[in-house]
Amino acid sequence: MQGDLAVQTTGLTRNFGNFRAVDGIDLAVPSGSFYGFLGPNGAGKSTTIKCLTGLLRPTAGSIRILGTNPLADPVSVKRRIGVVPEDLALFDRLTAEETLAFVAEVHGIETATAKQRSEDLLELMDLKSASTTLVTDFSHGMRKKLSLAAALLPAPRLLFLDEPFEGIDAVASRQIKDLLLSFISRGGTIFLTSHILEIVERMSTHIGVIAHGKLVAQGRIDELRAGAGSGKTLEELFIELVGGEARVHALDWI
Amino acid sequence: MFINSLEKTGARDTVERFSVAIEKLGPIMAAVLMIPSVLLLGAAAAASGFALARGEQHSIFFEAARYFLLVIPVVGIVGPLLLPAADRTNPVRLLLLPIPRRTLYVAQSSSAFGDVWVLLMLPVVLFLPVGLIAGGALAAAMLSLAGGVLLVAIVVGLSSLSASLLHLVVRNRRRGELLALLFIMILPAVSMLPGLLHGRRQLQHLEGGPPPAAARAPEWVLNATSRAFALYPSELYVRSVRSAAFGEASTAGAGLVALAATGLLLHGVGLFVFAKVLDSPGSTGTRRAAPTRAAWGRRLPGLSPGASAVALAHLRLALRTPRGRSIMITPLLMVGIFSFVMRRPASGFNVELFAGQSGLSLAAFGSFICLMAILPIAMNQFAVDGAGLTMALLSPLTDREYLTGKAVGNGLIAAPPAMLAIVISFLLLPGGSLALWVAIPLALLAIYFLVAPVAAIFSALFPRTVDLNSIGRGSNAHGLSGLLGMLSYVAAAAPCVLIMLLTSGWLRRPSLAPLLLLGWCGITYLVGWLLFIPARRIFARRRENLAMLL
Repeated sequence: MQGDLAVQTTGLTRNFGNFRAVDGIDLAVPSGSFYGFLGPNGAGKSTTIKCLTGLLRPTAGSIRILGTNPLADPVSVKRRIGVVPEDLALFDRLTAEETLAFVAEVHGIETATAKQRSEDLLELMDLKSASTTLVTDFSHGMRKKLSLAAALLPAPRLLFLDEPFEGIDAVASRQIKDLLLSFISRGGTIFLTSHILEIVERMSTHIGVIAHGKLVAQGRIDELRAGAGSGKTLEELFIELVGGEARVHALDWI
Repeated sequence: MFINSLEKTGARDTVERFSVAIEKLGPIMAAVLMIPSVLLLGAAAAASGFALARGEQHSIFFEAARYFLLVIPVVGIVGPLLLPAADRTNPVRLLLLPIPRRTLYVAQSSSAFGDVWVLLMLPVVLFLPVGLIAGGALAAAMLSLAGGVLLVAIVVGLSSLSASLLHLVVRNRRRGELLALLFIMILPAVSMLPGLLHGRRQLQHLEGGPPPAAARAPEWVLNATSRAFALYPSELYVRSVRSAAFGEASTAGAGLVALAATGLLLHGVGLFVFAKVLDSPGSTGTRRAAPTRAAWGRRLPGLSPGASAVALAHLRLALRTPRGRSIMITPLLMVGIFSFVMRRPASGFNVELFAGQSGLSLAAFGSFICLMAILPIAMNQFAVDGAGLTMALLSPLTDREYLTGKAVGNGLIAAPPAMLAIVISFLLLPGGSLALWVAIPLALLAIYFLVAPVAAIFSALFPRTVDLNSIGRGSNAHGLSGLLGMLSYVAAAAPCVLIMLLTSGWLRRPSLAPLLLLGWCGITYLVGWLLFIPARRIFARRRENLAMLL
């Protein structure tokens, strides 16, 4: 592994036809960090995560995940990461338990261990009573929790979470936050995208800000705030970095 | 047109553009092909109107138009059930807009004018008055036009009512799935009933038994049937047009009043049911549970844990969706009905692939149909997983494991019904060489070895987002993939059929069939294994497109 970086990209670029969604970004996510990846809608966050997790091939640039090139050895990388994608990748016609059994099988986890982990995770996610229910009958929040459970089951060293708190109630959100902090305290690394800046501000140790496909800021959250001027919130810093401004003045008729 | 379709897909690469263009071209081609039909129907209707005005009561054109219109109201009811419900606008969403409910009802009903059967009846009811005018019967033409408009309103009302009732039923997903499954299974069975009954009547006739059941029906039943048939909308229309042409104004007027009353009643009930649809909130139905013991420790022998997990997830998908279940059950139902019909010597129905051995022929034909029934899933094996596909792509599975798992999964879906088809045929129509019975499963295996990699290739090249809860097109594989898949099945089956015919017919040594087919299985396994090499390469190249599909 180069240094102690869990995720490292150099000049990561991804084009869709003539449109450049990700424009030569150099990410550096330290191991053991809680990395908040922020950006306005359409900035390139999800495309970046898809490149990092192997769903999309970069047009240019290099990627190292936990010291391995995922393009050269995708299976080895996938064995060590967990992903909660934005669209919650779950088989609709499997039950919660079957979903976790599927994950355990493809990761080659021994049945007894997998069953124990599954029970623990379903209990923690408050999904025990729905363990034999088909995913198609789950609410959005239940799907999100199951997706997180599926990502955690193989005990990954690195978690990619794309908007994990969207559509989650306050109680579940608190449970997930505690779980993620516990994951970090045990040496895991989290790469998270979220529009809820308050959560990112409270949980992240590091942030990266992407706008129009370019990485406009990256580093320790306290250092970035200090650099931007005293007393600035993450929201103010974010708006300053991505160049957004309040545009409500013209709507006098509201 | 094709080049334009290619240009306007907005898809990411050439293969995907081609795939989308082919899908877009289907409806365009159908519309183009409909133009001659519309012209033909219009001409026939004008000719029938002209003949009617000239005093021909039973002209061939008028009788043709009558039988054509006879079918339309039935299709108007069944049509919305056959079309995937997802393709229709969800009217509840429209409630968010400031539009009165009656206007919403009119809008929903008007969508029936896009249905093929309504489009095809329009030239008939519009050009029949033209023919009457040409024949000099102006008043009759006006009455005929009014009758035509009312008939169209009735068919539109029937379609609308049928669609609203369907919405009400499928609002509960479980109920909707059950309905879909029943519909898929019942439709082919019902379509075979006339043949079955005809065979029964023939048998009775040949045995010198009593006359057919219909002739023995009580008089009052026949009278009631006849009176009810007279009230059938298209018959009301035909009677009023005929009466108008022959100057029987009161009969024509009565027919029109009956048509108007039927239309009013239908739209009244339609509006009521539509209001019920708008008032009832969406329901997902009760939660369903699956047995816990199945989740853990299930591993298919001879496969890696990953491939086994993929295969089992694929099988579960089929077992838990209406389309998947229908794939497994419907061919069996048909084999059962065929066996039943063929057991009756005078049914006149037989499948004689092997001379004098109808059981063997049915087993071969039925099991092949069972194998081919998995086309909608096998030829779209990656996209049918929906969001699960992303989970599979994010998993530490090699391409080999994933494709092997899918191939085995498809085999698991097809194998039980195919084997059951052979068993049913054997039990109901035994006889013939045992060696040939043994040869059939070997032939199926050989076909599948060849088709499995081809299915993987087409699934990767032409993925299609589908809903396996839907009955019709909404759950089919991509059109091109389905067509090429069917051809590949036939091509893969040809050598097996040749071997069976060669050994049983020309050589008259059926015992050779299993031996030769065993050898052929070995060859096809090798060919299939080799074909999986390009299949894996194509899948690896298409991974990104598959991931972006959903």
